[in-house]
Amino acid sequence: MSKISLERLQARFPKDVLAVETLPHGDDVARVRREAIVEICHFLRDDPELDFKMLSDLTIIDSLTRRSEAFGGSSRASMEAPPHVRQQPSEAAVRFTVIYQLYSITKKHRVRLKADLDDKEPHLESVSSLWKTANWLERAAFDLFGVKFDGHPNMERIFLYPEFKGYPLRKDYPVNKRQPLVEERNFPDLVRGPGPGPGGAGVPMSQTLVGRINVNRETYD
Amino acid sequence: MINANADAFSAEQDLPSKEMVINLGPSHPAMHGTVRVRARLDGETLRKMELDIGFLHRGFEKSSENSTWTQVLPYTDRLNYVSPLLNNVGYIMAVEKLIGIKDPERSQYIRVIAGEISRICDHLTCLGAMALELGAFTAFLYGIEARELLWDRVTELTGARMTTSWTRIGGVANDLPDGWAEKLKKTLPKVAELREEMDKLLTKNRIFIDRCKGVGEITQEEAVSYGFTGPCLRATGIDYDVRKAHPYLVYDRLDWTVPVGTRGDTFDRYLVRVEEMRLSEKMILQCLAQMPEGDYIVRDYRYALPPKSEVYSSIEGAMAHFKLIMEGTQVPAGEVYSYTEGANGELGWFLVSNGKGKPYRVHVRAPGFTILSALPRLCEGHLLSDLVPTFDSINMIGGEVEQ
Repeated sequence: MSKISLERLQARFPKDVLAVETLPHGDDVARVRREAIVEICHFLRDDPELDFKMLSDLTIIDSLTRRSEAFGGSSRASMEAPPHVRQQPSEAAVRFTVIYQLYSITKKHRVRLKADLDDKEPHLESVSSLWKTANWLERAAFDLFGVKFDGHPNMERIFLYPEFKGYPLRKDYPVNKRQPLVEERNFPDLVRGPGPGPGGAGVPMSQTLVGRINVNRETYD
Repeated sequence: MINANADAFSAEQDLPSKEMVINLGPSHPAMHGTVRVRARLDGETLRKMELDIGFLHRGFEKSSENSTWTQVLPYTDRLNYVSPLLNNVGYIMAVEKLIGIKDPERSQYIRVIAGEISRICDHLTCLGAMALELGAFTAFLYGIEARELLWDRVTELTGARMTTSWTRIGGVANDLPDGWAEKLKKTLPKVAELREEMDKLLTKNRIFIDRCKGVGEITQEEAVSYGFTGPCLRATGIDYDVRKAHPYLVYDRLDWTVPVGTRGDTFDRYLVRVEEMRLSEKMILQCLAQMPEGDYIVRDYRYALPPKSEVYSSIEGAMAHFKLIMEGTQVPAGEVYSYTEGANGELGWFLVSNGKGKPYRVHVRAPGFTILSALPRLCEGHLLSDLVPTFDSINMIGGEVEQ
């Protein structure tokens, strides 16, 4: 539908637009050089024929285990890839990709921009000067992925507390890890033990606090 | 004597006044959910306001990446717990778009009916709470009573009031129960009566108008720049509604118009919501009249569970059941951005699959998140007491905003 936006984008930035694609279900995607992101966004926003006045969404993909999960048998996200997969040279060396979803209310079309980032110290120019909504969206991306946005007025965590270590949506952040701000009381969960997800620490019923009081040791375990 | 009095008065005027920083929330009756506001006050005027969110952060996206595609569904209920059916529909439609299947016609109608019921419930809750916090307790009770009437129907349909988890990949969990449509047709007039009662109590109420009109105004350009969607955007006069701009399901077969406001203030947001409830009712009735007979879920057992009779009597049924439960639906590798109209605006889903049974990345574009980020802009310069109706009118839902 909005083939025009991809064409115009390519015509205007022949070097900075690395690839364009229309996916089978109709999404238009353009992969762009990260150095030119602000320039490209500025053009998309102000060009009268494209008129992308709204930044619908901004998010990040961490591609660390994307391949290994796809080929490594059962997919256990957030676990490290098994050794035989890790040794293979990875197809995509890029780890973080920033995704922008733009929308034009007047033209009723959408485009998705993708910018691949450096692996070490991922950072990107902020677009918060173009769209006001980018302020919080970039903060959320920084909070959960640790990607810094240069030129952002207030690059701080938004959901998590400042003392939080690490970035939870990165694929190498273990899903069961806990780092409470206030120390957790020693009150084991009756069924799962500490931590989210089934399995937990597997505390036998009779050893839990509730179990000790209510459950007959002979009956269980 | 007179002179002395005048001196005392002017001296009082010259008293040095200091700006004061106060803290509202995170646990405060007017801060729905758990939002903390740090406000710098000059007298009663809000000079500067900072929001601190995240007290309800549950790691929705991380949890989703460790579940199968179907297991994500119950998490979506908890995003917007006032209109869970709209979230269910939005998420499942994103997965279907990624797979490339379409649900049967009857299921599409059922989804629209369920979604519009949810939308009415959401608006009733929002407006009821708004009235309550401005002192109109009666209007709140009317709103909640109407919502309960609808939730009774939702319970009959899905088995739960709020945690519905009711849609499935390729359709919905079950067909409409026997006689449910008739019951709904009897319920809707009762809801309409309560809604009109509420409307009469508030729309021409002097106090309500004074508290809402001209408060929390925003221009069209700014609203778009802040990523406003839904009733908050339409209150500024922009008629962007996903149901109209990019019709999905059967919205293009229904006769309705998009209500818009003019000023983009709290009162317009209120009026747009009231009008949308009327339209939703109209849409439900049209759907009930148009709805065809037929399947309510696809018969493609790669995606939808086979009926129990087949599971227990045929090897194909048993295999399909086993594969779906143990391995999860196999979604082809790819990525998609799908969008539907939630109760508060564009509910977007960005899904990435790497071809296994679990989503590689699930990201939700919560309408409330971008709108909430504009709250300081809406409130600064107004009185502290104006914060309450403005905050109510954007209808921030902690579950989706803080994920």
